Amino acid sequence: MWLMQYRDLIWNLTITDLKIKYQSSVLGFAWSLLNPLLMMLVLYFVFANVFRFNQEQFALYILVGIIAWRFLANGTSTAMLSIVAKPSLVTKIYIPRHILVLSSTLSCFISSILEFCVLIPLLFIFGANITPYILFFPIAHAIFFFIVYGLSLVLAALYVYYRDLNQIWEVVIQLGFFLAPICYPITIVPPQFLPYYVLNPVTILIETYRNFLIYGVPPGLRSMVYLVISAVLLMIAGKFVFNRLERRFAEVI
Amino acid sequence: MSGNQYSRNKKTHGHDDAIVVENVSKQFRIPHERKITVYQHLAGLIAGSHSYEIFDALKDVSLTVKHGETFGVIGPNGSGKSTLLKILAGVLYPDRGTVRMNGKIAPFLELGVGFHPDLTAEENIYLYGAIMGLTKRMVASKYEEILDFAELKRFENMKLKNFSSGMAVRLAFSTAIQTNPDILLVDEVLAVGDESFQRKCSGKIDEIRREGKTILLVSHDLGMVQKLCERGILLKDGRILSSGSSDKIVEDYKRMTLPHTS
Repeated sequence: MWLMQYRDLIWNLTITDLKIKYQSSVLGFAWSLLNPLLMMLVLYFVFANVFRFNQEQFALYILVGIIAWRFLANGTSTAMLSIVAKPSLVTKIYIPRHILVLSSTLSCFISSILEFCVLIPLLFIFGANITPYILFFPIAHAIFFFIVYGLSLVLAALYVYYRDLNQIWEVVIQLGFFLAPICYPITIVPPQFLPYYVLNPVTILIETYRNFLIYGVPPGLRSMVYLVISAVLLMIAGKFVFNRLERRFAEVI
Repeated sequence: MSGNQYSRNKKTHGHDDAIVVENVSKQFRIPHERKITVYQHLAGLIAGSHSYEIFDALKDVSLTVKHGETFGVIGPNGSGKSTLLKILAGVLYPDRGTVRMNGKIAPFLELGVGFHPDLTAEENIYLYGAIMGLTKRMVASKYEEILDFAELKRFENMKLKNFSSGMAVRLAFSTAIQTNPDILLVDEVLAVGDESFQRKCSGKIDEIRREGKTILLVSHDLGMVQKLCERGILLKDGRILSSGSSDKIVEDYKRMTLPHTS
């Protein structure tokens, strides 16, 4: 099985990615945390004071939304480039190419876990309702991983052939930021749009994170089933597209 | 797209031949205008420009290499040598024909594949080792040997970007050679480092050859092919022009190029 055979390589590539990202050790990681915190402050100021949204624990509400969103945004846009970024690993040697996408997604996954770890003290400081339901985090995050990985497989394979896809995807990500309840409460969505709005798995996912992290509510069974189905479908789509396009990678890269 | 196959077999026993290539053909489509963005594809749809040329890189190539044999592939530039090697390495897929590799492969198409300038020599050894299919434990047990062979013990914690190109290549060769393959695919990378290191390298290759490993060597260096290889093929324009003993194919190659050079 390829996962066992290549596990040292996958791990090595993942760690290398992280090492390069946080090159200046402590400060490198601190910088990467500053970004979501500043975002949270700005968005909190705008949406709590200017728009006067009334949402319980709004600061944490925004922060959880941003941190979760960052995994999707950073994960897909980094992993999309993973094949093209290492051309010699495609044209000079054979390794299963999805390993490059996998290790790139994994390194963003680890970054995301670290960001959530920093969130924990903030949960206490802001007085979130912390219950044992917080233990749903590994399950939710694992499902999230496969959503991002499936999506990244499609994007990385397409990016080999369409080199402006990253710019298109950037716009999609920006749009997605406002299509998911990250910086505003879900209650402001007009009721006639709500059925479509909650079809977005990212919406369900972010709400699920908030439920068990901030409000001490267990995730709903229907939400979890919906997320698992989304992850499975995205993985199938990812594997299918990737396998179809992989054969000519070495010719066009 | 039918009937093309590439298979790898980890085990060597039960197979007489290390490499079996049957009727392999490979075409490249070379578009007149290379489209690499969504925008260009859309523009192409409207303008209706789909013209491309077909380039036959390999036409109906068959060969077998027995276990323990050193096999040479020679031919002028653009004859399909590198394409053949890439197909054997599994990097390119053949359009038609089948390829069977029986044994663990180490492709030496380029040395230092995946080396990262911002990592230290030590980190690069582990990374490159993993890329070449070694487990972490295997690299750890060979670690000192790798550094000794590369003569870079003093620089183990230096970042690769501060290495000279010769040092980097030495590090790469010493790591790659530890893979202990059954089949070695080599693309003119033997000429690495200064003269004394080159001697060490060809000594190592000779050692591998004597251990009964299979080597497929693509080279322009006719003297080296004659010296190292027992058999080989001569490629021209994607076809096998002649095959047989290395003396014979080198002779044919010289005769082929003679009218042009004189």
